[in-house]
Amino acid sequence: MWTPVALSRDVPPLVVLPVVAGGRELALWRSASGRIAAWADRCPHRGMRLSHGFVRGEALSCIYHGWSYGAAGNCLRIPAHPDLEPPETIRVAVHVAAEAGGLIWVAPSAPEAPPPDPGALQPLRSLTVEAGTAAVLSLAGLAGDTLARGHLAGVEVTVAVQPIGPARCALHVLTGAAGAAERIALSRELDALRRRAEAGEMAA
Amino acid sequence: MAAERFIIRGDLGAATFLPWVRRHMGKLGLTGELGQSGEALVELRVEGPPDLIDALEMGVSLGPIEAWVESIERAPLNSL
Amino acid sequence: MTSEAIRNEWYPVALASQLGPEGRDTRLLGEPIRVDWAAQGRPRVRAADGREMATRLRYGHIWACPGTPSRELFDIPEADQPGRRLVDVGVVRVKCSPLRAVENFLDIAHFPFVHTDILGAEPHTEVGKYDVAIREEVDEVWATKVHFYQPQAAKSAAGGITTEYMYRVPAPTVSILYKTCPPRPGEWDVITLFVQPLEENLCEVWPWMALFDDETPMTDLIHFQQTIFLQDRSILENQLPRLLPLDPGMEIPTRADLTSVAYRRWLKRRGYTYGAQLVAA
Repeated sequence: MWTPVALSRDVPPLVVLPVVAGGRELALWRSASGRIAAWADRCPHRGMRLSHGFVRGEALSCIYHGWSYGAAGNCLRIPAHPDLEPPETIRVAVHVAAEAGGLIWVAPSAPEAPPPDPGALQPLRSLTVEAGTAAVLSLAGLAGDTLARGHLAGVEVTVAVQPIGPARCALHVLTGAAGAAERIALSRELDALRRRAEAGEMAA
Repeated sequence: MAAERFIIRGDLGAATFLPWVRRHMGKLGLTGELGQSGEALVELRVEGPPDLIDALEMGVSLGPIEAWVESIERAPLNSL
Repeated sequence: MTSEAIRNEWYPVALASQLGPEGRDTRLLGEPIRVDWAAQGRPRVRAADGREMATRLRYGHIWACPGTPSRELFDIPEADQPGRRLVDVGVVRVKCSPLRAVENFLDIAHFPFVHTDILGAEPHTEVGKYDVAIREEVDEVWATKVHFYQPQAAKSAAGGITTEYMYRVPAPTVSILYKTCPPRPGEWDVITLFVQPLEENLCEVWPWMALFDDETPMTDLIHFQQTIFLQDRSILENQLPRLLPLDPGMEIPTRADLTSVAYRRWLKRRGYTYGAQLVAA
């Protein structure tokens, strides 16, 4: 089951950030070569969040003691013991990450199908709303669940919906061709939507 | 590579102790086996890189909450 | 309700130089307390029911024991040594277990990564063997022969040196570090963290120092220690689980973590569980 967690454009190489998918806290990161990865946000050494770490080349390192992990989540190096070749049993729990249509998707384990692909659209922005997904989508008048479609501020939108908690979600918004003025108007409409959803407004 | 024998002494009778030790050895990728074990003493033999055998001592000296490890005596094994 | 083992310890509750006549309302072990001056030089700490706790005024701070003190407040002889500068750094509130704050202070392997180019730098990341013991006669944890290469170890250091350290835990929420002192070879600079447990996952940390350094302005000494501690705070507030595990089943401690492991063993043996996680999670 795929969860959208970010716009591809917002995670350039060498960036790591925390995301929540399927109730799990993950460290989402992109290597120097552009490979996207989503790992449990917890270093197996002493529990530091890997989302606070740093990316060097194709490895993600923990900020606390510098333990460094390669593409499959296996520990490559323990700086306090530089001569030790870490056993492959020391590893971070790895989730599946994939990109489609300008969105980054995450699944907990081998999914049966590739993630939904919204097609060739333009990324606009992501926003987090302190309200549940159903309330937000019905207030916005958008149809669909994971990929919701419709019009906002007169612009055709595709919104990838990421549930985070019972009263929190993130929206990753893409559009078809739209000029600068339309994108600005859409962005303002999204802010207004967020304010209304957070104020507890219900759809008519 | 090194091979060592650990003699673990303490209050080790809790049912959780031996499975905990085996699991910790697995996390470190160490091969070995548990020898004699009783309420106050557990023997184990382990092979692997010295830094990982040191790491095993660190973990086992705490172990699960129900066990109290008073001491761990280590000695090299000459079998390798 | 917290157990006897937890209540019979000494805890810092205020910085004497910053405690005004209006006093201070705070929390200790989850309960409200009030700290003020009963008379000049005599601090008073009261529980919510008005009962007065045993108190001490020492190392620039006010200490309280919510139960019956199991022993006298620990001694730091260097505090009375002529020529020392005593530095009150001021309080930092941290959303973490008080035990996590102590454990982090005992760790050196993080210096090149958390305090980059201040207390350590790559590639000098190796942590050599050192000694740790629980000194039974005083019931304290001590780590000795700890050494680490540092580019700029103290405000008084001119360049990179291999610094020698000792660590001492004289009480469950107090950690003391002794560091080689460039202007006075043979003496140790003393840097402490006095940790006030407000809740199991919230504490106030009071760093304090007794240094041989006649040159560095006081504000720079304070700023240096605050900078270091604020770097540690971002680690402390982002470690899982929030409480300090006494069972390392979800962790992989190595020999470099020996002081942390000894501290946890010492807490476990004493039955000190405030801020601790008993089952690995």
